This record gives sequence, C-alpha cells and structure tokens, in this order.
Amino acid sequence: MQFQLKTRQVCLFFIAFLPIIKLFSLPSVIADVAREDMWISTLINVLLDLFTLIVLIFTCKKCKTDFYGLLELNFGKVGSKIILGIYFITFMVKGFIPVMEQKSFIELALYETLPNFFNFMPFFVVCFYLCLKKLRVLGRIADVFFVCTALGLILLFALSLPNCDFTAILPVGARGSVNHLKGSYYSFNWFGDAMYLMFFIGQFEYKKKDGLKIVLSFVIPSLAVILFMIMFYGIFTSIAYRQFFALTEISKYTVIINNIGRFDYFAILFLLASNCFALSLPLYFATTILNKICAFNKRWISALIVTLTYVAVLLIFEQFSATITSTISYYFNTLFFITANVFPVCTALLNKGVKNENLAV
Amino acid sequence: MKILRSKLAIIIFLGVAVLFFTNDFGLIDIEKTAIITAVAIDKEADDYKVSVEVAVPEATDTNAENQRALISGSGKTVGGALKDIGDETGWFPKLSFCNLIIIGNGFENENVIKVLDYFAKTMQIQDSATVVYSEKTGEDLLKATSPLDNISSFALQKILLKSTGFDNDVITTDIRSFCANYYSPHSSSIMPIVKIIEQRADVDKAQEGGANGSSTSQGGSSKSSASGKTVFNASTSALFKNGIKVGELDKDLTFAYNLLNRSVERSTIKVDDVDGINHLLTVVSNKPTIKLTATDTDLKLSINLDLYCRLSDLNSVNSDSTFAENKPLSDKLIEATKTKLEKDIGDLVLTEMQTGCDILKVKDLLYRFNYKHYHTYKDNYLSKLNFDVSVAVSGQK
Repeated sequence: MQFQLKTRQVCLFFIAFLPIIKLFSLPSVIADVAREDMWISTLINVLLDLFTLIVLIFTCKKCKTDFYGLLELNFGKVGSKIILGIYFITFMVKGFIPVMEQKSFIELALYETLPNFFNFMPFFVVCFYLCLKKLRVLGRIADVFFVCTALGLILLFALSLPNCDFTAILPVGARGSVNHLKGSYYSFNWFGDAMYLMFFIGQFEYKKKDGLKIVLSFVIPSLAVILFMIMFYGIFTSIAYRQFFALTEISKYTVIINNIGRFDYFAILFLLASNCFALSLPLYFATTILNKICAFNKRWISALIVTLTYVAVLLIFEQFSATITSTISYYFNTLFFITANVFPVCTALLNKGVKNENLAV
Repeated sequence: MKILRSKLAIIIFLGVAVLFFTNDFGLIDIEKTAIITAVAIDKEADDYKVSVEVAVPEATDTNAENQRALISGSGKTVGGALKDIGDETGWFPKLSFCNLIIIGNGFENENVIKVLDYFAKTMQIQDSATVVYSEKTGEDLLKATSPLDNISSFALQKILLKSTGFDNDVITTDIRSFCANYYSPHSSSIMPIVKIIEQRADVDKAQEGGANGSSTSQGGSSKSSASGKTVFNASTSALFKNGIKVGELDKDLTFAYNLLNRSVERSTIKVDDVDGINHLLTVVSNKPTIKLTATDTDLKLSINLDLYCRLSDLNSVNSDSTFAENKPLSDKLIEATKTKLEKDIGDLVLTEMQTGCDILKVKDLLYRFNYKHYHTYKDNYLSKLNFDVSVAVSGQK
C-alpha cells in the first residue's frame, strides 16, 4: 500500500485546521443558547469528537485497506456508493455555513467599502486547485500552515487576556443541561473533525504510539477552542451572542491596540490564511467522494462540479443565506451527528479488510 | 515544462492570496480624503442631531496643522441622522477611524442605549470607540478647541487614553463595555463627563516664539493647537441605571472607583495637612478585592484595598530627601491616606445604594459567587447590603 501521508502530517492536520472555523460565528451561536456555559456545550462536542477519534485510531490500527476499500468489502459496491453518497451530501452541506460566514466576514470586515460578490471568488480558485490534488498535498499544507494557526492563536490570546474576566463563566452549569445540550446540538455543523481521520485510514503507516500523538494533536487545538470560548464570554459577557465575528472582536479592546492601531490583524490574517484551507476541506472530500462514486477519469471534473455548485448556490441564493443557514443549523445536525460520530464509531465493528491479530493501544 | 507549470501555479497562488487576504485595491488614499474622528449625538425635540468632526490630514511641509470641519445631520434614529449627513453633503460618513462617541447633555431623562446600540451593532465603527458624556451639547464639545490639539476629539483622547499612568483619574468606557453592562443583570453603566474649561491662551505666543527657531522641515507643527482657548476636564463621571443618567461621581469618587476597578499605577493622591505638611503620594500598585458574602439573613460586601505608594512631593520647610529615596512612609501619613480612601470608597458604595446604579457589580458577585442566594436577593440586594471597607497603605518597608 502506498501511503499518502505521514503520521506527523495527520497530527499537524488537526492542529492547523481544526480550531479556525470555530472562531467566527460559532461562539455567538452557542452563546445565544448556553450563555456563560457556552464552554460546556463546546466541551461536550469536543469529548464526543475525542471519543470518535479514539475509536477511529483503533480502526486505523487494524485496517489493511483504505476507507473506500473497507466500505466496499463490508457493504458491497452498491452499499458503499450509497454511504459515500450520504457523505457527499454531508460534506456539501457541512461546508456551506463556514464558507458563507467567511464570505460575510471578508465583505463586511475587510472590504467595507463597496463589497461585492466577486471579492470572495479568489477563494474558490484556491479551493478548486486544492481539490485537484492528492491527499499528500493536504499533508504538506498542514506542515506549513500549522505555524500560522499556532502563531495566530498565541497572539490573539495574548492580546485578549488583559480584557478577559474569567469569573464571567460562573456559576458553572447554571443554565441547565438542556441548554448545554442545545448549544452542543446547534453547533454540530462546526464540529465532527474526528471524521476526517476515517478518510485517512490506510493513507498513513500506523506505528507504535502514533495513536497517542494523534490524540494529543487533537486535544491541544480543542483546548484552544474551549479557552477561546471562555475568553470570548469573559470579554463580551451579556452581549456575547451579538458578536458574529468573534475572531476580529476579542483582541481589539486592549489599551495597546487603542494607542498603536489594529496590529492584531497580523494574528487575524495568519488565521485567515489557514482558514482558506480549512474551509476547503469539506469541498476537497466531497470532490474525492464524487470521483469515487462517478469514477471520472479526470479528477478536475468532480472538482469543477463541487466548486461550481458552491459558487452557484452562493450567487443565486445569496439573499436566502439566513434561511439556508438556519435550515442547516436546525435540520441537518442529526445527519452531521450520524456521519461524523455514529458511523465512524461503527467502523470499529467492521470485520472485513481488517488484520486478524489483536493489537493493543 | 513541469517546473514551469509549478512556477506558474505558485505565481497565480500568490496573486490570488494577495487578492484574498488584502484590501489594497479598496484602501482609500488617506492623504486625499477626510476621516471622521468623532461623533456627537444631541437630542433636538423628537429628533437626534448627529455632528461629525471631520479631520483632513495634511501631508505638506508647509502646513502640518490638521484641518477640521463639523458636519451635522438629523433624523429619528442615529443611523438616519448619519444618512442625512450623506444626503446633505453627498458624502456618506466613513466611521472606521472614529474613536470617540459624545453623548450630549440633552439625554438627561432618556435611555442612551437607544443611540449607543446602533454603534454596538453596526460594522461601520469599531465598538472599542470611547464613549463620553458632555456637560454641554455634544456639538459644543466638538466645536471647542484645546491647546492640546486643534482637533477636539484628538485632544479628548489625549486625556482619556493616551497618557498611560496619568489617565487613571478618569473613567474610560468603550461602546462594548457600556452595552455589556447595560444588558447584564445589574444594568448599570458609567462614563466620563467632559467639561469645557475656559483658559487663557498664552501658549500662542510661546509656541510661535519657539517656531521661529525651528527648521522648516518640522512643518510649523508649533502652530498647531495654538488657537485653543479651552481645556477639557473629564475627572467626574456619570452614572447610568437602565441607560438613564441617575447620578454623578465627583473627582475623588471617580478615583476611588478606578482604584477598585483597574490598575492606577503612577496616579497621585494628595494628602494634605499631616502635621501641617501637604503630601503627594504616587501609587506604585493597587490590589483591590471585592467580596460578597450572602447568607439567608445577611448580605455583606467586603472591600479591601492594598495600596503601595511612594512619596513624590511634600511642602516641608526643611530640606527633606524622603521622596527621592523612597523611604518608609510615616505612620501619620499612612493613617491619613487610609482614612481618606476609606471615606471615599465608603461614599462610593453609599452613592451606589442611593442611586441604584450598581457600578461595583454587586449583582454579578451575587450571581457568580452566591448563586444559591441569587433569587432571594436579586430584587432588593442594594437595600439589604451591608458593607465594610478596609484600606491598607504601605510604602517602602
């Protein structure tokens, strides 16, 4: 088997791309429901994903083939295509809100004078180019851009810290478990990152202690996201739910920013650079899946279909973006939960295409 | 061929990245435009009158003094008034550089959140912009010129923000913190009151004299602000409950508030008449602790302040090197400082109880640290409140 990725790249993939899309409108979505307990809703999703990741690591260890082979061996050709079809829909829908919020961010925060639809078009050029490439390119991008993500987050946290009132999250749990679970449920769209490991099955050589490395590289950015949520609420408290672009909001109240200017944009631009690829991930995997289902000779055909579909939806339904966003948030979360958590956990039960020997963690 | 394709791909990628991550083509040439530095809002019958101060940056060698203009518009909402400016002048105000919002004195009995919420929600302005309350109308404040800067908003920012260590005598409130406090359970906010004080403008001649000797390359900067005949004072504060002004803090209480809410390093405290000698202490550090203890029968607020000071000046007849050497403070001086601050902080709590404006965020303390008793006291906590204040002053030991 030819491996597309190294374990290092799998680890850096989670560090580089996992936290960023959660730093835009997600905090306000959770704050609207769970208020000061928004970090608890985040924690629930992180734990859910962590459990999925650990199970997938076991699957990675015992698999002799890649994910697509595994599906075909266990569900047959038709069955595997149906499952892949569901994942294609999942990725196409899952990517919409992050892309939409990024588009709004670019137009409202960066292009405040005369923004128009085409300001955001270059993203799709990058995205299309990425969709043409093999998985190893994603690994190489992660190799480079994890630095941007790490630097961006460190600078952002350092600037936000002086204005943060950590006691704002007290009393812990006062909003009740119903609101915690609601906050968790409404935010499934932005989570479910462990699912990507399922597509890496058989794509990297699993060695001893690799599981621990992958878990650590998942836990560290997840903790950064939880810390971000705490700091976000610590800064905005009662008006947290109104802050739609948390990323650019939390750092600007420092006295030094008032006196010198918005040099926090260094951090923001670092994160935006990584986010360009993080946003492309659902489209990338949708392309790969479409290629598997339709068996196109040229990968660019499926890449073009996926990218143009997104451009067309954004262009034609721009005025309905709020309706589409709320529809996805309320009605597709069950699908996201099943595809990102339930099915990946079930892969541990598949018995064809796996090694016979028992492996310890 | 493959290398050429890779190079081409990299170049295209870089080009796309430039388009994506920058806004170079959208940037306004700052030297050819005018920027809004402050917005003042006044109440005129049922309408809001919005005045914007427009600064026109000059980049020539001959005249570095910034030009300014004042444009006004009115409407039933703040956004409508801003649009009115656009309709009148053909130029829609760009608020990206606006760092100051002035609320005029016409809002005595009106909820100011009606006007401030617009700035908190719009993406046109940074919600880190400072908010002040004007003793006169907001427009008057913008019209006033100060020796500090001929652009009044720049002069105001100098006293509110720009002198780290020396600006601790004034309250600094931005849109975000005002709105966050308004929407929190205690619904109490605070902002500085800016007063215009008439001054003799002797600086004109002094600066002109200095300018004669300066080189042309300095661009006549000495002329700037020479026309100012007023100065701004922001050492008192306005208290708002549910967005309506309910009281004021004088200079001492404002400083006491700052002592309890932020670092006031390098601020000074005057302690007069200790054995006939007047002293000036510089604050090296302040560590406040505000704790609320709730029981079924009692609600007690304990305020502790640990203050470390050094002597900066005293009007002793004899030569005294105490302040130069940071020697220990005398017991009498410590006692006098402690008494003064305990009285000021006590008065601050009493003001809170009388006005109902919970500036010390007692309700937050009740909710966050005494949640079990929150529902018992949430409606009457200020009337049930007992408090004690303890200030520990120390110097070099």
